[in-house]
Amino acid sequence: MSAPSVSTGALILRRLVQLPFIVLAVYTLTFILAWSVPGNPLENPEGRRPPAEIVEAMKKQYKLDDPVAFYVDYLEKASGIGYLRGTTDRVFDLGPSLKQPDWNVNEILATGLPVSITLGLSAMILALMIGLFAGLVGGLRPGSPADLATQLVAIVGISLPSFVIGSALLMLLAVKLKLFPVGGWGGLSFIALPALTLSLPFAAYISRLVRFGMIEEMGADYIRTARAKGLTRARVALRHALKNAFLPVLSYLGPATAVALTGSFVVEKVFAVPGVGQHFVDGVLGKDITLVMGVVLVYSTLMVVFNLVVDVMYRFVDPRIA
Amino acid sequence: MRLLVPIIALVLALAAAVSLDRPLPPADFVLIDRSDVYTLDPQRMSYQHELRRARVLYEPLVNLRAADCAVVPGVAERWEVSPDGLTYTFHLRDDAKWSNGDPVTSEDFRYTWRRAILPDSAADYSGLFFAIAGAKEFFDAREAMTTEFAATHAAAPSPADAEALWKRTAELFDTTVGLRAPDARTLVVTLKAPVAYFLDLCAFPCFAPVHPPTVEAFVSIDPTSGRLIQRHDWTKPGRIVVNGPYMPTIWRYKRDMRLEQNPHYWNKDAVVAKTIECRTVENANTGVLSFQSGAADWLTDLGPEYRTEMIAERRAYLERFKADLEAGLARGGRVDDVVAALPPPGEGERRDARGFSAFGTDFFSFNCRPELPGGKLNPFSDARVRRAFALAVDKQALVDRVTRLNEHVASTLVPHGTIAGYPIVEGLGYDPDRARAELKAAGWDDRDGDGIVENAEGVKFPTVDILYSTSSPRYQNLALAMRDMWKRELRVAAECRSKDSKLYKNDLQKGNFMIARGGWYGDYGDPTTWLDLQQSQNGNNDRGYRNPEFDRRLAEASGETDPALRLRKLAEVERWLFNEEMPMLPICNYVSVYMYDPVETAGITDHPRLEQDLSVLGPRRDAATGSAP
Repeated sequence: MSAPSVSTGALILRRLVQLPFIVLAVYTLTFILAWSVPGNPLENPEGRRPPAEIVEAMKKQYKLDDPVAFYVDYLEKASGIGYLRGTTDRVFDLGPSLKQPDWNVNEILATGLPVSITLGLSAMILALMIGLFAGLVGGLRPGSPADLATQLVAIVGISLPSFVIGSALLMLLAVKLKLFPVGGWGGLSFIALPALTLSLPFAAYISRLVRFGMIEEMGADYIRTARAKGLTRARVALRHALKNAFLPVLSYLGPATAVALTGSFVVEKVFAVPGVGQHFVDGVLGKDITLVMGVVLVYSTLMVVFNLVVDVMYRFVDPRIA
Repeated sequence: MRLLVPIIALVLALAAAVSLDRPLPPADFVLIDRSDVYTLDPQRMSYQHELRRARVLYEPLVNLRAADCAVVPGVAERWEVSPDGLTYTFHLRDDAKWSNGDPVTSEDFRYTWRRAILPDSAADYSGLFFAIAGAKEFFDAREAMTTEFAATHAAAPSPADAEALWKRTAELFDTTVGLRAPDARTLVVTLKAPVAYFLDLCAFPCFAPVHPPTVEAFVSIDPTSGRLIQRHDWTKPGRIVVNGPYMPTIWRYKRDMRLEQNPHYWNKDAVVAKTIECRTVENANTGVLSFQSGAADWLTDLGPEYRTEMIAERRAYLERFKADLEAGLARGGRVDDVVAALPPPGEGERRDARGFSAFGTDFFSFNCRPELPGGKLNPFSDARVRRAFALAVDKQALVDRVTRLNEHVASTLVPHGTIAGYPIVEGLGYDPDRARAELKAAGWDDRDGDGIVENAEGVKFPTVDILYSTSSPRYQNLALAMRDMWKRELRVAAECRSKDSKLYKNDLQKGNFMIARGGWYGDYGDPTTWLDLQQSQNGNNDRGYRNPEFDRRLAEASGETDPALRLRKLAEVERWLFNEEMPMLPICNYVSVYMYDPVETAGITDHPRLEQDLSVLGPRRDAATGSAP
């Protein structure tokens, strides 16, 4: 709703200039939150304590004894300045994991991010297919038994938390019917259940968007004209009405995909999927500051870029916006 | 139609991503752990599942045989101990090799133990090495050297100076620490004082060697602090070089690790499974379902949500075949072998879950500090009050009705029967009458008959602050049950206070509690791994128990050179501690619950130290027990 409309090029440029400031703000906020939590990442929360002098030695090594030094040092290495100055040999060095000394945050993201992205995108594709189908079924025959049934399923899909749906699907499809493996990752059969679980709330929302859109559009004047012209109901619905009914779905897809990519940790836990979401939650609980900072930096950058892509695409699909 | 194009592109991209991540061929043995190993660097490990992994990757001088925890040869084929118990001479076997074919030498051990002792390495278990002559002095000297270096070089980094400092350190190690390698096959260790359990320590994975050239490639010296910076990239498959029965060939973060036989291992004929897959499943529910779907042979940690129910089902099964079981055990059979030969379980019964009494004790700590933070009155600084509270707890009832895992009730810290030659020690039991008498003797009594306990000055007994962590419902249940017992038997009010693990730890360290949940697992086969906890200076002495008399008695007993007499003296110290001093209230020994089918899987030991040896686990082979193909 910005008053003077800007060109697409100017929009991209403005967002790219904003990007480092947004990420810096997120970084600083995360830093303050992460440091204000009591406890020490070098300690096993449930286990034995190493002697004090060893803890001191470890703190020194990871700059945990000086928040300001940590803040500056981490920012320098993560932003690429450290690489240019030669203090690190990785271009964007997100640091070592404090809890998992054998892994650095770059490696953890490199193993987890493709998994989370695969899961998130599969879920969005499933959500679109299910949502469109259910929305069309309901929207073309409002009040019919098929409409009531899909609406009921949609309400259940939105309101049930994913760990309930996930566990139920596990019990039914993996344990009782043995159609899919119980958990893990590697191959299509492993993706099916977590992707379905993750997709259901989105599918439910999409189906309601499509249903309302279709009901509204099917009553519009131009549809009556098209019908009068002799087009079949199915052709009118799919060719003309759906085109307009789909626009709200498109604007929903942007944030929804971002949420599916970043918010999948519950599903990842239930199905033992080795994605970033799980690693991030473990990082927060274990006070693995570098891991938390690294994931937040990468995700906030992704979010900004992603929103930009969606805004540009939206202008492309619907020229009225620009 | 244009809308379809990006969707089709997405589907294609996904298909490509999926085809890159293909499932592996099935391994001979599959186990599921609740969490991934934190590190494959044996000097930095501290968790049980990591140490278990390390035992089959790195072979120390000597091994602990899983079945009975006896010390058997490892890299060292034989060894001699000097009559004064101070010098150990290890003779390394000729065919001990690294996975790249290099021989394992005594210098490899010197290198590894040096890196374990260095403060730069930040190893949890550096302290265990301080038994070696000069090790503590070397640690302190290096710490002082780097501190001084940092003071002068923080602003003026100098790689050359740091290099020189390191050279001095290495020389200092050669001259001060009692570790010599007269030739490539001999290692001579000199101890500061006799350590009766030194061989047991040598079997601990932190004492196992690493391959120096592989590790050294990732070590650098920080020019500002003079410290060694150790990167751990060498632990990744492809780079890692090990000397144990297995080597890791795939390790995917918090997902899985694949172990394959090390072709250069000297004793490879004794290894059962050719490949082992270690999967990580954090969600307890998913882990159990995975096991039940047949995806794994061994679930190493059954979550608390399932334990009581499954243990009860096992009890129902064993109850039905009680006579057969007892007859089989009387013939000298092991539990798993006898159970595997029984008919299959029926409805509501199972034999694929088993609880093992572990080398760990569940206890609650009394705050023994003279006063609480803020100068508040701490009645538990008085041993009589501590004894009263211990005597008022009916532990058998706690185990039967609260924790319900069939645990052994404990009145002392060292689990019974876990250390060969250590006598059974009993502490205070359940005796409510004596509990009230002890409290009265400490000056706390209901003087005016109003049902409230007060002291001679009329001060009410303060509300007891029971602290526990929210990490498991077990502690809350125990705390609530004990609160009721103390209310009933001693007429004192108590309040339970739960904290998240980190905040709980914080309160423990600050002494901000009266009674707090604790727990300890032993590290090595000697009572001192338990009794040291009560030492005044011990870093894990959460109780603030500082008693020079105890320190003196413990030092005197553990310094005894006659091994049998030494264990008897230590038992005497423990008896005194848990009948008189009572710094903590032991509840029971921990139980570890595994899921595995004894018909399919053999080799799991039930020795209480639970040092499972992955290299002997595998399918049951003998036909007599009726294992079906």
